[in-house]
Amino acid sequence: MLRGTRFVGEFMRKPPTSARILVALLGLSLAGVAAATRPDFTGVWGVYREPGAAAPQRGAPQPALPLKPEAKAKIDAYHALVDKSGDTPGGFCLGTGMPGSMLGSGGYPMEVVQHDKMFVVVYEAHTEVRHIYLGERAKEQDLFPDRNGYSFGRWDGDSLIVETTHLKEAVDQARYPHSDQAKIVEEYRLVTNDDGSKVLIANMTLTDPTFYTQPIKAEKKWQYQPGIRLLPYECTEPAWEAHLEELANKQAAH
Amino acid sequence: MNKLLVALLLTAALTPPAFAHHSAARFDLTIRDHTVVGIVKEFKPANPHTKIVLEIADEKGKRDIEFEGHSLNNYYRGGWREGLVKLGDKITLYAAPTKDGTDGGYALEVVAADGTRF
Repeated sequence: MLRGTRFVGEFMRKPPTSARILVALLGLSLAGVAAATRPDFTGVWGVYREPGAAAPQRGAPQPALPLKPEAKAKIDAYHALVDKSGDTPGGFCLGTGMPGSMLGSGGYPMEVVQHDKMFVVVYEAHTEVRHIYLGERAKEQDLFPDRNGYSFGRWDGDSLIVETTHLKEAVDQARYPHSDQAKIVEEYRLVTNDDGSKVLIANMTLTDPTFYTQPIKAEKKWQYQPGIRLLPYECTEPAWEAHLEELANKQAAH
Repeated sequence: MNKLLVALLLTAALTPPAFAHHSAARFDLTIRDHTVVGIVKEFKPANPHTKIVLEIADEKGKRDIEFEGHSLNNYYRGGWREGLVKLGDKITLYAAPTKDGTDGGYALEVVAADGTRF
């Protein structure tokens, strides 16, 4: 009786096979239409400048950040350590990490490769790579922190919403240092200018209750750059060559 | 073997090889048109910064001076190509000088021997 009830119940929940195939095909078709109508961010993107605007001044003063005292003390200690030397992570061939990798890109271009279930974003400087997972892979749990964190995305109409967590504490971020509790949300959208050129816009919100008293917001724009390709960014090659030279000198001395 | 020599050898053995780190802090980037003309002794485009050594002859005498320059990628996009700058070429740098006035600088623009600017 129990087995029969379950059988009848399953049978009653399922429509005939032909109907199920029709619904499935319709679903696939609708999904395909939705995917086809989504904006395509694929391509190489470089620095955006408003028409007629002058080049931004390097080192221009920035508004103060709403830092908590403990965070400010950490950041001040870092700057007291390195500022006199001028040393930076990049000078040591270390990638910037989020959000600097994203906000700083453009001077060196970035490339976006868009798929249904994943975006790959490559920032030329230090060849930093972000994978933005959509769908099932967005639920991965076996994660560990790194400088660019773990990013997953979802579509909200024509906007791609990207949430990034699992970041390392980074007091060496030039503009927005953060703790390992930081969460970054980016909203990407594509606009087309009157002249037909494409502009990619990201609105970022960084929330970090360990470092900040309130969320940090920033906007970043890129200009589409057809015909440009990313270059390799070999950075540690001189160090390797210097090491080989040192080994050769030691060998010659024996 | 005396103790001093042992200590020096031990220090050398434990010291990691010099890492190619770079810093723009020692350059006065507000001055962007300091002109330097010299003979190329070394020209090595690299990331994050290029190494340029020129033989300079000025009122202080003839000597080799090392300059830092933009990244290989930026020079490439600016027009530099392999073989454009050769050893022995006479080139011009538009450089930011060092803050303390010592030899060296940051090469913001290079004029190759054939007039190509990058």
